[in-house]
Amino acid sequence: MAEKKRKLKGEEHAARRKKIPKTLTLGKKKKRKNKDEGGRKKGPFLPSVLRKELDLINPNPRNSDDEIDSDEGERNDVYEYDEPIAEEESKKNRRFDPVDNLEYELADDFKDENLPSSDDEGYDGKGNDTGDFSDHSEDEVGEDDNGRHARMLQGIIGMPDEVFEGKKRKKASLSGTDPESEYNLKALDGDGRISIQDLLDPLHGKPGYSKLRKRMHELEKHSMSIHAPLPKPEREKLERKAAYEQSKKDITKWEPLVKRNREAPTIYFDEDTDLRYSTVGAIASEFEPRTEFEKKIASLVSDSKVMEAHKNDGARLLELNKISVEDVRDRQNRLAKMRSLLFRHEMKAKHIKKIKSKTYHRMLKKDRMKAASAEMQMDSEAAKEYALKQEFRRAEERMTLKHKNSSKWAKRILKRGLKTQDEGTRAAITEQLHQHSLLTRKMNSMKDTSSSDDSSDGDDEVSGSSEGEEASKILKKAKEKILKVVEEEDEIPKSGVLALPFMVRGLKKRKEAAYEEAQLALQEYDSSLRQLEDTDEVESPKLGTSSGRRVFGAGKKLNQEVSNGVKPDNIDRDNESEDDFEAKENVDLEQGDDVLLREEIRVDPGPLLEESGIGQEAVFKSFNDIIRDHGPKTTYEVAIIASDSRRKIRSENGGNKRRKSSFVEEASSPQDLKGAHQDSDTDSEEEMVDGILSSGAILDYELPSQADLIQHAFAGDDVEGEFEKDKLEILNEEVPEPEKPVLLPGWGQWTHVQQKKGLPSWIVKEHEDAKKKREEALKKRKDARLKHVIISEKNDKKAEKLLTKTLPFPFTSKEVFEQSIRMPIGPEYNPATSVGALNRPQVVKKAGVIIKPIKFEEVNPHDKLGEPSGSRHAPKTKKDKSNGGKSIKKMTKKKKS
Amino acid sequence: MKVKVISRSTDEFTRERSKDLQRVFRNYDPNLRTQEKAVEYVRALNAAKLDKIFAKPFMGAMDGHIDAISCMAKNPNHLKGIFSGSMDGDIRLWDIASRRTVCQFLGHQGAVRGLAASTDGRILISCGSDCTVRLWNVPEANVMDSDCLSNNSSEPLAVYVWKNAFWAVDHQWDGDLFATAGAQVDIWDRNRSQPVNSFEWGKDTVISVRFSPAEPNVLATSASDRSITLYDLRMSSPARKLIMKTKTNAISWNPMEPMNFTAANEDCNCYSYDTRKLVEAKCVHQDHVSAVMDIDYSPTGREFVTGSYDRTVRIFQYNGGHSREIYHTKRMQRVFCAKFTCDATYVISGSDDTNLRLWKARASEQLGVILPRERKKQEYMEAVKDRYKHLPEVKRVVRHRHLPKPIYKATALRRTMVDAERRKEERKRAHSAPGSMPTQPFRKKRIIKEIE
Repeated sequence: MAEKKRKLKGEEHAARRKKIPKTLTLGKKKKRKNKDEGGRKKGPFLPSVLRKELDLINPNPRNSDDEIDSDEGERNDVYEYDEPIAEEESKKNRRFDPVDNLEYELADDFKDENLPSSDDEGYDGKGNDTGDFSDHSEDEVGEDDNGRHARMLQGIIGMPDEVFEGKKRKKASLSGTDPESEYNLKALDGDGRISIQDLLDPLHGKPGYSKLRKRMHELEKHSMSIHAPLPKPEREKLERKAAYEQSKKDITKWEPLVKRNREAPTIYFDEDTDLRYSTVGAIASEFEPRTEFEKKIASLVSDSKVMEAHKNDGARLLELNKISVEDVRDRQNRLAKMRSLLFRHEMKAKHIKKIKSKTYHRMLKKDRMKAASAEMQMDSEAAKEYALKQEFRRAEERMTLKHKNSSKWAKRILKRGLKTQDEGTRAAITEQLHQHSLLTRKMNSMKDTSSSDDSSDGDDEVSGSSEGEEASKILKKAKEKILKVVEEEDEIPKSGVLALPFMVRGLKKRKEAAYEEAQLALQEYDSSLRQLEDTDEVESPKLGTSSGRRVFGAGKKLNQEVSNGVKPDNIDRDNESEDDFEAKENVDLEQGDDVLLREEIRVDPGPLLEESGIGQEAVFKSFNDIIRDHGPKTTYEVAIIASDSRRKIRSENGGNKRRKSSFVEEASSPQDLKGAHQDSDTDSEEEMVDGILSSGAILDYELPSQADLIQHAFAGDDVEGEFEKDKLEILNEEVPEPEKPVLLPGWGQWTHVQQKKGLPSWIVKEHEDAKKKREEALKKRKDARLKHVIISEKNDKKAEKLLTKTLPFPFTSKEVFEQSIRMPIGPEYNPATSVGALNRPQVVKKAGVIIKPIKFEEVNPHDKLGEPSGSRHAPKTKKDKSNGGKSIKKMTKKKKS
Repeated sequence: MKVKVISRSTDEFTRERSKDLQRVFRNYDPNLRTQEKAVEYVRALNAAKLDKIFAKPFMGAMDGHIDAISCMAKNPNHLKGIFSGSMDGDIRLWDIASRRTVCQFLGHQGAVRGLAASTDGRILISCGSDCTVRLWNVPEANVMDSDCLSNNSSEPLAVYVWKNAFWAVDHQWDGDLFATAGAQVDIWDRNRSQPVNSFEWGKDTVISVRFSPAEPNVLATSASDRSITLYDLRMSSPARKLIMKTKTNAISWNPMEPMNFTAANEDCNCYSYDTRKLVEAKCVHQDHVSAVMDIDYSPTGREFVTGSYDRTVRIFQYNGGHSREIYHTKRMQRVFCAKFTCDATYVISGSDDTNLRLWKARASEQLGVILPRERKKQEYMEAVKDRYKHLPEVKRVVRHRHLPKPIYKATALRRTMVDAERRKEERKRAHSAPGSMPTQPFRKKRIIKEIE
């Protein structure tokens, strides 16, 4: 039997040999590693030929660990001259429990079978391999033991160890904790269990035996050991670990997608908008009648008859459309009636429009007004409306000055001269002015009350009886003003053009003249005042009739009476001044002035006109202006500045002209100045010539060295000293010196304590400290040691706000940051095609569009970033090439991530 | 002789339509405009100031509950609808546009703790401390549109009574499963009355659960043992547990970055984690001065909103250490829940004072139709502001916020405490053997351990 078995073994070996070529290389590799691991334990180094032989004998079936184990066992058969193993390891002395399958080993096994490690795959495989082999080397110890046991058995029974192997393996796996030793030989004689081999043996030589044996062999080969179940927490832990690794791996697939989205300058979320209804038909199909009218229409439209007719053809529809003759006639009649009514109404309107009679229209207007007023009285609403309208008209008038001779027509008439016009035109103009005054009346009254002037009662509500008083008041005022002006005149400018001697002289002269004039005027005022008081009753009715603007005409008449020679001029002026006027009171005042003026002119026109008469007039006018409060100062100044009396007149006559005159004045004065400059220039030139001449003389005298030359050249200026002074100044400015402590006024003075004791000690100390601090600060400066250098350490506060204190976060260097804000992005500085890309926000979304979570799609990591993706839901990205700043930002972001 | 002639064709200057803008030709030579940068800086400053002027984030309050609002859920399929559950067991569906209750779901005996709506928006799931899970039919959208004020309440589709009280519920994205949290985590199928799976890892109560919207089979929970746990339903097993020093109140997954989630912690901070690397937080978002109660990511994945026990709502960037925005009103009490709407335009907060509040996500955003020119202008202003945001003046204007006094004070106090702690540690380190106290980044400091 033993022989048989040996033979069998030999057969097996032969069979294995056949398989070798396939697994040779693998086995070799493994072996080498194995050797590295366990070289220590196994005896002498084997020559490669022998090793190959060994490989041939034990090709590694790599299915499971147990197979390898068996191989190791076999190998041990060959290595009979193995070195003795350490006592503990061989477990001979039984100091250690012989446990076949340690828990931790098992755990490792588990990992090896199922799990890829967390590291990358290249490393992964390696790690697993090493793990395997370490296991084996540890297993070897046990196996070694087993091998020896088998050999012993073989010696006793004369059977090959293969017989026992399966059993042993089973035992080892089934009862992992069962100790196995020389004294525990259950395998054969212990409990008398029968192995399959035993059952097979009698069948040897029978047909089908080889088949059966082969199957058995196969079975044996693939047999898996069943491990003892692990404790529950351990098992769960392993499960969790596996689950975590798996989910980790799964989630990693998102990485390129997420990366792409993060790096994209813009993500779009407004792509898949679902605009429910796209066509009118679709909207109409959803329509449901709600209101009664709609329902009625719907019932008509969806009438079965109509629907049927629609379905068949149009002919039936026509039939349905029939209307009775009466209906048609009725309708026609109604239409005709309406049309005729309309026509009549139209005709009537046309007729009324054609009527040219002013009286008729006036009547009509009056009627309308009456109706309106009646309505106003009837209800407050209308009144309010009317008031509003009126207010608006007033405002409009104030804005446009429509009635203030600003129309083309009025201008033309005024240009031609009013007096040449006929009565009607004049009346029209007065009417217009009246209208204007009416419309602006409220404003005036308001102004008066606000200024709380005592002349506020000078409006046209005041009848003629108060006119005299009015005039006297105005005269008084004028007098006061004149006095004031005369007093004010004294100051003479100390610089500028006016300071020039001839100007001063002229000014003085003129002032004297003006003073005389003023005196005269004052006298006139007095006289006229007296006159007014006398002729109050006589004048009043006349003036009373011509209240408000109507004064205009009256004034003109007066003019005609008063002066002939100066007339046209006066009228002209009149008109213009009238234009300037805004308030009624001023008109009155003006009239008064006119009176005065004309009288004045009548008194002594000759001398005034000859010498500086017109100048006098100008002065008067300037008084007028002062009274009018038309920026009194300026006009006065202008009058004084002007050297020529003619110019002065012009300046008084109109705003434009006035400006012109000052212009001319300015133009003339620089010329004078220039002349002066030229003078000075020529002087200096002469001096220069002198200097050159003198230097030439020295050159002739001797030849100096360069240093001498320089010294001579800069003989006067002490550059170093100046620099030092500058530096000191700058230092003082940048690090200010502490203030010197002073006696506090009133502090302890009455007792003379402070004076006796001197300053309190703390003040002195503080001062010392401040000094020390300053010195330290000066020492710390960069230019403290550098004699010829000033390094300013002043920080410009205005520039400070344009600088960041530290480098902002995503940027890695100063240059990158500066680059990012270098180019402007506004629409003014960039072409329209690139502005959109430059200004695009990071997230583009639309309100009202539901954003779905990300959907997985394959992303080629080597692909260009921002290629529009195919999927509908995933946010799309777009790259803008034209933007330098953003691309840099992106770069930095990349670095960050 | 060279003759230069200005040639302009009329075609270039004539408009096609009367509404067209006149074409303007510009010379973009930078040498002609030396002040462009200064001009843009001033524009940025002005834009920042105008932003402040127009910052009116509060849109309105939704009043109706009679007890504190404990949870909210948005309807993933319908923009206008939002569900809210209160401590007295009342669940309401609100129409955000009209800010009125559309429907009431009555039935819970105790507080409603969790609400979730299915992805198609048809079914609402609620759970509460009365140990029941209830499924409700959500009324159709057109019912919401027709403004009938009658509080039509509906009956639950199903009621599942279970062994323990529930703390939270969340529905899977595009699936039939939903998860409840309580004594353990139960995975339910909408069509079955028993949970299909239940996980128990540790004996402590699970207080929040959230499915990842992008990876529908992954969910995260937080428990009262200060842990955050990840589960994978494909393996039907928990995956990893992370224990922090303080409890996590809520978790939200980033919908655009499936590996990332953010945890709202009791220690006033939010921690963003990568599921693959739990040993350290990716980012710590700090600014709140009291426990963060709820967190919700914007659907864009770029920012999230948090509601806190300190009576404020804050909006953070997904990678920002500090908040971008703080919202508060005088009457808003402890905020228990906060949500972003599905279009990322509004934020809704539910608080102790029984009100839901609707806020704009961008405080100064102009609502309504914006014509292209205006939009371009706004985009330009934003871009300019973004470009110069690092300069001190712009930064100051952008960052400045008026805070309620208690919060301002609490912030100052917190800063003092943190500083003191830091100083103490520095001193300890200085006086101990070199290397015996390694410095730990703040991202790791609050993590105790990761359990396999």
